[in-house]
Amino acid sequence: MTAPAIAVRGLEKRFGFAVALASIDLTIPPGRSLAVLGPNGAGKSTLLRLLAGLARPSAGTVEIGGQRAHGREARARVGLVGHATFLYPALTARENLIFAGRLHGVAEPAARAAELLEEAGLADAADRPVGGFSRGMAQRVAIARGLVHDPAVLLLDEPFTGLDRRSAERLAERLARLRGERRTLLLVTHDVVSAARLADAAVVLARGRIALQNPGPLEAADLERALAAAEAA
Amino acid sequence: MNAFLAVLWKDLLQEWRSRDRLVAMLVFSALVIVVFHFALPGGAGAQTRSFAPGLLWVAYVFAALLGLGHAFAIELENDALAGLALAPAERGWIFLGKWAANVAILGLAQAVTAVVFGVVFEVDLLPVAGRFALVAVLGNIGLCAIGTLAAAVAVRTRFRELLLPLLVLPLLWPVLSGAVRATADLVATGRMGFEPIQLLIVADAAYLIVSFVSFEYVLDE
Amino acid sequence: MIRATGAILATIAALWAFAVAGAPADAMQGAIQKILYVHVPAAVGAYLGFLTTALCGALYLRSGAERWDRLAISAAEIGVVFCSLNIATGPIWARGTWGHWWAWDPRLTLTLLLWFIYLAYLLLRGFTEGSERTARFAAVYALLGALAIPLNYFAIRLFGGAAMHPDNLQRGSLGPGMGWPFALGLLAATAAFAHLLALRFDLESRRVEEARALAQERRE
Repeated sequence: MTAPAIAVRGLEKRFGFAVALASIDLTIPPGRSLAVLGPNGAGKSTLLRLLAGLARPSAGTVEIGGQRAHGREARARVGLVGHATFLYPALTARENLIFAGRLHGVAEPAARAAELLEEAGLADAADRPVGGFSRGMAQRVAIARGLVHDPAVLLLDEPFTGLDRRSAERLAERLARLRGERRTLLLVTHDVVSAARLADAAVVLARGRIALQNPGPLEAADLERALAAAEAA
Repeated sequence: MNAFLAVLWKDLLQEWRSRDRLVAMLVFSALVIVVFHFALPGGAGAQTRSFAPGLLWVAYVFAALLGLGHAFAIELENDALAGLALAPAERGWIFLGKWAANVAILGLAQAVTAVVFGVVFEVDLLPVAGRFALVAVLGNIGLCAIGTLAAAVAVRTRFRELLLPLLVLPLLWPVLSGAVRATADLVATGRMGFEPIQLLIVADAAYLIVSFVSFEYVLDE
Repeated sequence: MIRATGAILATIAALWAFAVAGAPADAMQGAIQKILYVHVPAAVGAYLGFLTTALCGALYLRSGAERWDRLAISAAEIGVVFCSLNIATGPIWARGTWGHWWAWDPRLTLTLLLWFIYLAYLLLRGFTEGSERTARFAAVYALLGALAIPLNYFAIRLFGGAAMHPDNLQRGSLGPGMGWPFALGLLAATAAFAHLLALRFDLESRRVEEARALAQERRE
């Protein structure tokens, strides 16, 4: 991609009369990773869902690799790991991944599923229904699902929530590896330590607007202060 | 096209795992038929047989509404509907996948219900089985076309079980009247005219096309 | 806009009322036939209403401009009133002439089905949360509903009930002296629809503006 991986200009998103996002301008070159922080209700999840092409902006533009995010070309390049896992509890991990692969036009879904399950350390649990998985395991399948079509851009919405220490460690390692693969990462998180460790730059959202942009290198202490300031405002 | 096959496969696989949708539909429609039989004066008399085809289709519609609601209820857990919306595919194909799965499952329910109907109302469908199957399938297609779209809409509103029949029934009239008329003709005379089939084909095609195109807007947040 | 449509309506309505009052009573049906001067124009409003709703829905889906949705809901609310009026006056006339309240007459059935479609549309809007989602879902349903109207027409034509409606649109089917009140009635219905639509749209726009201002205030 020669165009910036993510380009947001003058973005505004309204739900009825509530303004979820206003005047958002953001440019992320390919291969960079950005942490998005902010208090609850700041609009972080909304921003992610707009980038994933799940909704249309009320005003402004959202582009992935130069293409409108709310379109098929852009969606082919984006993977989303949201608050929810998008998994079907009655189906096995393998079946869920094969389905996601087929849905995203992956050439050999079964092989890809096996590969992803191996990578996530879930090879033995592959043929058990996802409904019985622990939060940590389900999260790993969800991330595999987000990666099934090998997207250039990966969006993660608070992936560390609800994970025990071991799972969180494992996740951080996984994300560090993905970062090394020169994917563009956008990580929404409350965890300033992980943010500082895993991202090149950070942006703090408050009440739908960008309160602060930190082009990096990131220090956890700086982020903590910025976050506290945003929460107080 | 991938998306169509993927969704169809997934829905059928889910149904195969639990079979709850099919069982519920079968039990419900069989119950409806039996209740109608008892509720009507004269039981399986000649007069009752004249409007029995209508009753059969009422049973089919009730069963369909049950199944259609379920088809999208399964997409609510873990926000799976958003998972579908993320697909880089023409969204109409996702609609078609859901539609096809609904048609298949309803078709199965229709077959079993027809047998129950034949027994309870003493109507012999065997001599007209082929043509009846055609009518049943055409009716099924139209019913599921409207119903799949309506269910996708209703599932994200309040009172979704209440809203689904309210949305489907006013639109269903062309499909239902064609299907009932054709079935009634078959049962009464063993022959059916071309007009009901024509109406069914036109209505089915029209509803399918409009639903295919507008599904794009239904999957947005 | 409102003043213009209001003035036009007032003029036509006055002429129409005058014409209806002066029209001769029908030889066979008597004075009750005059209810048709309301019944038929009401149908015009009903169908005009739904077509407007569907068209605005389509325009909303294409452009995302909120004003189309405001026009759609306005047209639907006005249209359903005309539709209800048509369905209410039908039986009144039927009782007076044929002796029973209802018959599955093709046109009446068609309008009854339209009434149910309207109802479904309005209920859908009422039960959906979020104004953007409501607008989108309503637009999609309106398209299907608009499709249902011609399909219903064909279905009824193929299997319709007793055709008890006099076919007023053919020349000579109306008695002498009834042509003018009838034509004026159709015009009056159209003018009434336009005026009420303008009023309702204005009301809706103001409601939206106020709610927006209130939400803005609450945020600051």
